[in-house]
Amino acid sequence: MTAALMNIVLRVNGEDAAVPAGLHDTLLTVLRDRLQLTAAKRGCNQGVCGACTVRIDGTTMRSCLSLAQACEGSEVTTLEGLETSPRLKALQAAFAAHGAFQCGFCTPGLLVSAEALLEDEPRPDEAAVRKALSGHLCRCTGYAKIIQAVQAAARSLSEVGK
Amino acid sequence: MTAALQGLYRPTSVEEAVALLSSDESAKPLAGGATLVAMLNARVLEPQALVSLSRIPEIQGISALPDGSLRIGAFTRHAATASSDLLRGAARVVRHAASQIANETVRHMGTIGGSIAFADPGLDYPPALVAAEAVVEVASATGRRKVPARAFFVDWYVTALAPGEIVTAVFLPPPRSGAAGLYVKHARVSGDYATASVAACTFGDGRIGVAVGACGPTPLADDDANGWLSEDAGDAGIARASARLVELADPLDDVRGSADYRRQLIPGLVARAVRSLQAQLKEGR
Amino acid sequence: MSAWRSEVGAVGEAVPALESEEKLSGRAQYIADLYRPGMLHAAIVQSPHAHARIRGYDLSRALALPGVRAIVTGEDLDPAHRMGAFIKDEPALAVEKVRYVGEIVAAVAADTEAIARDAARLVRVDYEVLSPVLDPAQALAPGAPLVHEQSDRYARVFDAGTLGNLCSRTDFREGDPDAAWAQCDVVVEGTYQTQAQAHLSLEPCGALAEVDPSGRVTLWSANQSVFRVQANVCESLGLPMTRLRCMTPRVGAGFGNKMEPHVQPALVKLALKARRCVKLVLSREEDFETVRARHPITIRMRTGAMRDGTLVARETELLLDGGAYGDDSPGVLGYALLMNCGPYNIPHVHAHGRVAYTNKLRFGAFRGFGVPQVTFASEQQIDEIAQRLSLAPMEIRRRNIKRPGDVWFGGQQIHSNELAACLDVIDREMPPAAPDTGGPMTRGRGVAISAHISGLLASGAIVRMLEDGSLLLNTGAVDIGQGSNTALTQICAEALQVPVDRVAIASPDTDGSPYNWGTTASRVTYVTGRSVVAAAGEVEKKLKEHASQMMECDPADLELRPGGAVALKGVPGKAVTFADISGRAHWAVGGPIIGSHTWVFDQKTVDPKRALVLGLPFQQIGIFSFSAVAVEVEVDTVTGKVRVVQACSASDVGRVINPVMASGQVEGAFVQGMGYALIEEMVWDGGRLANPTLMDYKIPTMAEQPESIRVFFVDSHEPTGPFGAKSVGELGINGVAAAIANAIHDATGARLSRLPMTGERVLAALRGAERA
Repeated sequence: MTAALMNIVLRVNGEDAAVPAGLHDTLLTVLRDRLQLTAAKRGCNQGVCGACTVRIDGTTMRSCLSLAQACEGSEVTTLEGLETSPRLKALQAAFAAHGAFQCGFCTPGLLVSAEALLEDEPRPDEAAVRKALSGHLCRCTGYAKIIQAVQAAARSLSEVGK
Repeated sequence: MTAALQGLYRPTSVEEAVALLSSDESAKPLAGGATLVAMLNARVLEPQALVSLSRIPEIQGISALPDGSLRIGAFTRHAATASSDLLRGAARVVRHAASQIANETVRHMGTIGGSIAFADPGLDYPPALVAAEAVVEVASATGRRKVPARAFFVDWYVTALAPGEIVTAVFLPPPRSGAAGLYVKHARVSGDYATASVAACTFGDGRIGVAVGACGPTPLADDDANGWLSEDAGDAGIARASARLVELADPLDDVRGSADYRRQLIPGLVARAVRSLQAQLKEGR
Repeated sequence: MSAWRSEVGAVGEAVPALESEEKLSGRAQYIADLYRPGMLHAAIVQSPHAHARIRGYDLSRALALPGVRAIVTGEDLDPAHRMGAFIKDEPALAVEKVRYVGEIVAAVAADTEAIARDAARLVRVDYEVLSPVLDPAQALAPGAPLVHEQSDRYARVFDAGTLGNLCSRTDFREGDPDAAWAQCDVVVEGTYQTQAQAHLSLEPCGALAEVDPSGRVTLWSANQSVFRVQANVCESLGLPMTRLRCMTPRVGAGFGNKMEPHVQPALVKLALKARRCVKLVLSREEDFETVRARHPITIRMRTGAMRDGTLVARETELLLDGGAYGDDSPGVLGYALLMNCGPYNIPHVHAHGRVAYTNKLRFGAFRGFGVPQVTFASEQQIDEIAQRLSLAPMEIRRRNIKRPGDVWFGGQQIHSNELAACLDVIDREMPPAAPDTGGPMTRGRGVAISAHISGLLASGAIVRMLEDGSLLLNTGAVDIGQGSNTALTQICAEALQVPVDRVAIASPDTDGSPYNWGTTASRVTYVTGRSVVAAAGEVEKKLKEHASQMMECDPADLELRPGGAVALKGVPGKAVTFADISGRAHWAVGGPIIGSHTWVFDQKTVDPKRALVLGLPFQQIGIFSFSAVAVEVEVDTVTGKVRVVQACSASDVGRVINPVMASGQVEGAFVQGMGYALIEEMVWDGGRLANPTLMDYKIPTMAEQPESIRVFFVDSHEPTGPFGAKSVGELGINGVAAAIANAIHDATGARLSRLPMTGERVLAALRGAERA
C-alpha cells in the first residue's frame, strides 16, 4: 500500500522547493508531478532507457531509480536547469542541424548525459560518445545522427574557445 | 517486539544501520538504489521503512591496507570501481567487470555491496570476486565476520547474509607482479545481464583461477579445473578445465539463452579469457 | 532534375524540424506531460488469464478506498458495440470474456495515480478459466478452443472469410503457377518462422479525456490518427462522432503501435462515468502486455527459375498469428501477399494465407506491415537460387528486377522506378568482399532489395491565408516524430513560393482538420502531400484572380514570385504582395482566401485481367518506392553473435523533400530492422509474456549501431507525387533481416530460417553447417 507523504525540501536547478513525497516516490515522480519539470520522461521506470536522466550532485543519474526523500540535501539539475550551459546550447544547435532527434522523447535525458560528457571530455572520439551514451535508448534515429551531432557540438565549442 | 519502522532512516555508522535493520525485518537497506528502487517501482517489494547506507563514511571508498591487500567499501559505486588504479594484478578482474555493468549512468548509482547482496546470477561481480579470491565482510548486530566470495553466493538471489545483516566491504589479496585479471562478458546487447561470462585471474605465483557467471545459481569455480589450468594454460589444459566446468554447470533456460547454449559457450569463453589474459601478461599490460 | 533547387529554401532543403526548440529544451508536451486542474488519474486492471469467461465483478473493496471516484468494467458496455479496422470484433475493454493475459478488464479513476493503482489491485473478477489456444496452426485445427464464438457474425469491411478461429484469408494468383513448376530448372523451397517484435516506442501509450458541461468529450492521446481514435472510441462506445473531439499532443513515436486504439475507449468510458477529466498513462510493462506487436508469421515459400537465372514461379503460403482481435491483421496478410515476390518479374505466382485468432495480445501494424517477414524468406531464396546456378547475388537480381514500364504483381502500374540505379549504388559502395582468412571472427556481405507503397485511403488539406498574408495549413496528419509537420510545411511553402516560416501548420483536431486516415503506410508525404499541393493550387488561383483585378490584367499573365507576391510575368516591379491581396479579400472583395482538397487514393491494385484475388482487404493501396540494402557482418564463431559492421542503403523515393529527415528515416529503420533480425523477440511462457520489461526485452543500443550506415537516394521523380516525391517511412526496414541473413550465409555457409538470428541460433546453424 502507498506510504504516507512527508514534506521534504529539494534543491532543484538552484532553487529550494518544498514538496510532499511518499517513501516510495521517486525523484522522477516528484520532478514531474509536483514541480512540473517535465523534461525528464518516464520510459521504463527501471533505469534502462535513460529518458529520466538528471544530474544529482553534479553526476548523471537515473531519476527513476532515486528516491525523492533520499535526495534531500542534494543538488538536482534537470535539463531545464541547464538552459544557460554553453555546452547545451551547442548540442541543441547541432541536434537541430543534424536531425539528431525525431519523436524527441529520449532527447532530454540524452542531452543531460551529452552535456556532462562534453564537460568531462571536450573532444570525445566516437568510441567515447558511444560509451557515454549507450545507456540512452532511441528507437527513432538509429543513433547515427546523435553521434554526429555530439561530435559537431564538441567541434563548435572548441572553435569558440570554450 | 519493537514497533515497525516507518520512513527513511539515514544512520551514520554501520552499527546504527544494523541495529535498525535487525529491529525490523521488513525494513530494507538502501545503497545506490539501482536494484531496490527498480523493485519498488515494479511493486515487487513495498517496505514501509528503508535504511539508507549513503551517509556511512566507513563503507565508502577503495583503499590499500598496510599489508597490501585491497579494500572496496560496500558503498563504492561501480564507476569508481571501474576506474580505480588501486585494483591491479588479479584484482583487475573486478575493475573490468565493474566497467561492463549496465551503462555509465547506472554505474554512477549502483554499488558493489548492493549488487552482490542481490545475488542475481546474471550479475558481473560474482564471478569476478570468486575468481579473484575476494573475501566479503558482513556486519550484524552482534559484530563482523568475513566470508570468502565462493561461500557468499549461496543460491539464486540467496547469499550468506542473514536477516538484518549488510555487506560492509570486499577484500582482495595484495596485487603481485606478474598477476592479471580480466572479465569476458557475452550478452545480447551492451548493458544486458550476461548470457554467460568468464572471469579469469593469474596470481603471479603460477596459479590461474577462473569462474563462470550466469551458468548456474552461483558463480561456477572448481579447484581441479583451476589446478589443470595452472599446470597447463594451453589448449589441453583449457579443454580439460572447461569440460569439468561444463559438467558442474547448472544453467537455466531464459530469454537470454537456453541452458544448452550456455553450456556450449563455456569452453569457448574460458579459452578466450585465458588466452586474452596470457596476451595481456606478455604485453606487460 | 537533380539540378533543381528551391528558390524559397523549402522542398529539397534540410529544414530543421519545426519542433526543434521545444523538443531540445524539454518543453515539448507529450501526453504524460499534460495536467489539468482537478484531473483524476486512472489505472487499468489486466486479465491474468489467456482465456476465461467473466462471471462477475466485485468492486466493493476498490470503491471503498478513499480517493477512488469511478470504475468501469465490461458491464458498463453494450456488447454489440465493437470496433476494428477490418473486422468489428473488439470491445472497448473485455466484455463477458478475456482473450489474452494483460487484456484490460477494468479501469479505475482516482485522485492520484498511486491510489488508482492500489484500487486496481483491489478489483476482484470472478473468472471461469477456459483452455487457451496459443499456436495459430492449432487454432485452425478442428476442435480448438474458440477465441471468438460466432466470429462469422461480426461486421466486416470486406470478404474476409471469418469463421471460428480463422480471422481472415486471402488468395492471390497470377499466371499459371501449378503448371509453371515443371518448366523450372531449379526450385528452392523453405519454411521460415518470424517472431513477435515489440514496437518499443520510447513513449508508453496514454490518453487524457476531458468532459465538458454538455457531456461532450475532448480526448487527447498518444496516437497516429485522431480520426481513427474518434472512429474507434465512438464505435466501441456507441457514441455519435459529433460527441467526441480528438486532439494530439507531441507523440513519442508509434511505428504502428498507436495507429489503432489502446486505452482511449476505456478511458473515455471512465471519464464519462466519472464526469471528470481523467488521465491514464501505461507503464512500460502494461504497454508491452496490453497493446499490440508485429505479427509472427510462418512462411512456406518456393521459388523456381530457369538455368539462366530467370525467375519463373513462386508459391507463398502465410500463416499469421493474429492474436485475440483482428486489428490490422487482414491488411497485413493482404499486403504481405501483394509484396511477397519482391520487386521482381515472376510470371506465375500463387500467394495465399490465413490469419488465426489466438489467445495472445492482438498483432497489428508495425513498420513494414508484413514485408520484413516475407522479404526475410524471399530474398534468401533469391540468393539460394543464385548460388545453385553459380550466379552472383547482384547478377540474378539485375536479371529479374522490375524495369520502368513493368507492372506490380496483380497488375498495378508503376510510375517511377529507379531500382536499377539503387543496385548500381550497392555495386559501387559495397561490392562482394574477399573471403576471410580464418580466426574466430568471420565476415561476410549480403544484399536484399525490396519495395514499399506510399498509400492509401483518404487525406485532405485546407490552406488559409491569414490577414497578414501568411498561411495556415491544416491536414489532420499526426507528426509522430518522423517530421511530417515539417515536410508538409515545406511542400506548402514551395507550392506558394514563400519561405517555410511563413506557413504555420495546425495541430490535428477532429473538429477542425480535414479527414486524414493516419500516419501509417508511409502515406503522409505522398497522399497528404498531394492534397497540400492541390489546396495550395486553389489558393494560387484565387490569389491570381484578385491580383488580376488589382493590376488590371489577365490571370494567365501572372506568376507567383518567391517571397509571397503575385507578379506580372516578365515585368519586374509590377506585383502585389500576399498581404495586399489578403487585406483586399478580408475587407473588400470575395472573402478570406481558402483552398482545400480531399481525396481517396485511387489507383487500383489489381487488374482483374491479370490476377485472381479472393479476400483482398484493399482495392487501392499505393504507389511504389524501392530500396536496396547491403550489409557487412562479423560473426563470432565462438558465441554465434552477429555484429553489423557497416551498411549501405540506396532508395528510390522520388524527390526527397527533406534530405536529413529522409536519411533519418532510413537509418532509424535500419537499426530497428537490425534489432528485428538479431536480438528482439517477445517470448511467451504459456499464455503470459515472459519478457515485458526493458531488462528482458532488448533493442539495439548506440554500442550496437554499425560503424557506418551510408544512405543514398537515387535521382528519381514520381510524376503523381507532390513535387515528384514518394514516401520513405517504412521502406528502410523491409530488407534488413534478409540482407543480414544473406551476409551470415556469406560469412559462414549457414542459412537461418528463423528470426531473430540470435547467437544461440547462429551457433546451432554453424554446428549444423559443420556437420553438413
